[in-house]
Amino acid sequence: MKENQLSDAIRELAFQMDEKEKRAAELVIANKELVFQNKEKENRAAELVIANNELVFKKKEKEKRAAELVIANKELVFQNKEKEKRAAELVIANKELIFQNEEKENRAAELVIANKELVFQNEEKEKRATELTIANKELESFTYVSSHDLQEPLRKIQTFATRLIADESKNLSDKGNEYVLRMQDAASRMQTLLADLLTYSRATSSEQNFEKTDLHIIIEEVKKDLAETIAEKNATIEVVEMCDVHIIRFQFRQLMHNLIGNSLKFSKPGIAPHIILKSRIINGSEVPNQKLLYEKNYCHITITDNGIGFKPQYKDHIFKLFKRLHDKEQITGTGIGLTIVKKIIENHNGVIIATSDLNKGATFDIYIPQPGTEPHRPG
Amino acid sequence: MKNIFLAEDDADDRMLFEDALKEITIPTQLTVAKNGLELMSNLETVTAPPPPHVVFLDLNMPLKDGFECLQEIRNTSRFKGIPVVIFSTTASDDAVNKTYEDGANYYICKPRSFQLLVKAIETVLTLEMWQAPRPPIDKFVLEIA
Repeated sequence: MKENQLSDAIRELAFQMDEKEKRAAELVIANKELVFQNKEKENRAAELVIANNELVFKKKEKEKRAAELVIANKELVFQNKEKEKRAAELVIANKELIFQNEEKENRAAELVIANKELVFQNEEKEKRATELTIANKELESFTYVSSHDLQEPLRKIQTFATRLIADESKNLSDKGNEYVLRMQDAASRMQTLLADLLTYSRATSSEQNFEKTDLHIIIEEVKKDLAETIAEKNATIEVVEMCDVHIIRFQFRQLMHNLIGNSLKFSKPGIAPHIILKSRIINGSEVPNQKLLYEKNYCHITITDNGIGFKPQYKDHIFKLFKRLHDKEQITGTGIGLTIVKKIIENHNGVIIATSDLNKGATFDIYIPQPGTEPHRPG
Repeated sequence: MKNIFLAEDDADDRMLFEDALKEITIPTQLTVAKNGLELMSNLETVTAPPPPHVVFLDLNMPLKDGFECLQEIRNTSRFKGIPVVIFSTTASDDAVNKTYEDGANYYICKPRSFQLLVKAIETVLTLEMWQAPRPPIDKFVLEIA
């Protein structure tokens, strides 16, 4: 038995040795496996760390993005609201535009009507202007004819009156003689009136022969015409400064005659008339008168006297036909003289302004356009 | 004896002229026409020697006016030397210039008093217009005062 048992025990031992060796080998393998697995796990862990980092980064990014999206969203909400607001406004604006459009169409229709009316009115005005031109010409020729033709019977009344006085005076009573004298007086007033009307009609005639003229010459001529009155009243006519002026000569002579004549006529009793004549070139901008053009040059003529003058409120009245400020017995006249002056100024496209006050003399400012002069601007 | 022709359509003016002539000492023989046609026929028939000393010519006349008469006189060889004095109510520039151009010798505005009418006619009668040349235009209108 012992031997058996020993052999059994040896076999058992050997078996166990084998088993142990097998087991050890398996352990080695298992160990290697573990080491490998460990390494793998470490690798995996490292990868996980990286992946984790990546995820952390991505998360942060996403959070950032989310925050941005929140902001963007808010912005979009705001913009949306704005757009809605704007859309509402546009709807209103659109309605307004539609309304305005309708209004415009209405207005256009009205304008078409108004335009037609204007065309009609224009035609009417042209018609009226033509009629006026004709009427004016008729009036002019009437004035001429009447002033000329009326002189004839008047002259006879005057001539027969002189015969009455010369030959029949002794057959008339004192009263009768006085009546004849009064008749002569009236006839001579009518003669002046007709002569003035004739002058007026000549001033309205269409002759427009403008000449460059030295005002000295015109004034000298007028002084010659009025020499008798100038001497009688001991008048001084002072010509301070004179320039050339473009005028219709015979008309301007008439104008100067009437103005200087007036200064002599409306002098203060017992005071010698002193008349000052001045003229110089000025620019329209220098005078505050809307009838004068800013860019145009004018010959500015001033006639000043020391006569009885007139109240300022009559400054326009005096230019009207037949308007007089004095009794016939006081100062003779027909009320045509200054109307002629005004007419002549109009023929020259000029302006005349009267300035005066009672007993303070009178000043007449005349502005006649200077042709062909380059506008000069002050400064 | 001065042979005077008058063309005047107005009866009053003819009467005044004749009366005025009586006041003048210069002996005259007056031939009156009531219009231009009569004047021309008077010139044809009455112009026996001596020829007219002067023709007083109104401008505004029926049938043939003074302007036409003047032209006819100046364009007719046997009349063209006859002195012609225009005798008109007014002296418009147009009338004065036209009659001067057409060869009238003088132009007188009919005076407004009888005394001046006498003086006007007297003045004309003392002018020697047959011999003397026509005056310049500024002396053409005779001022009677």
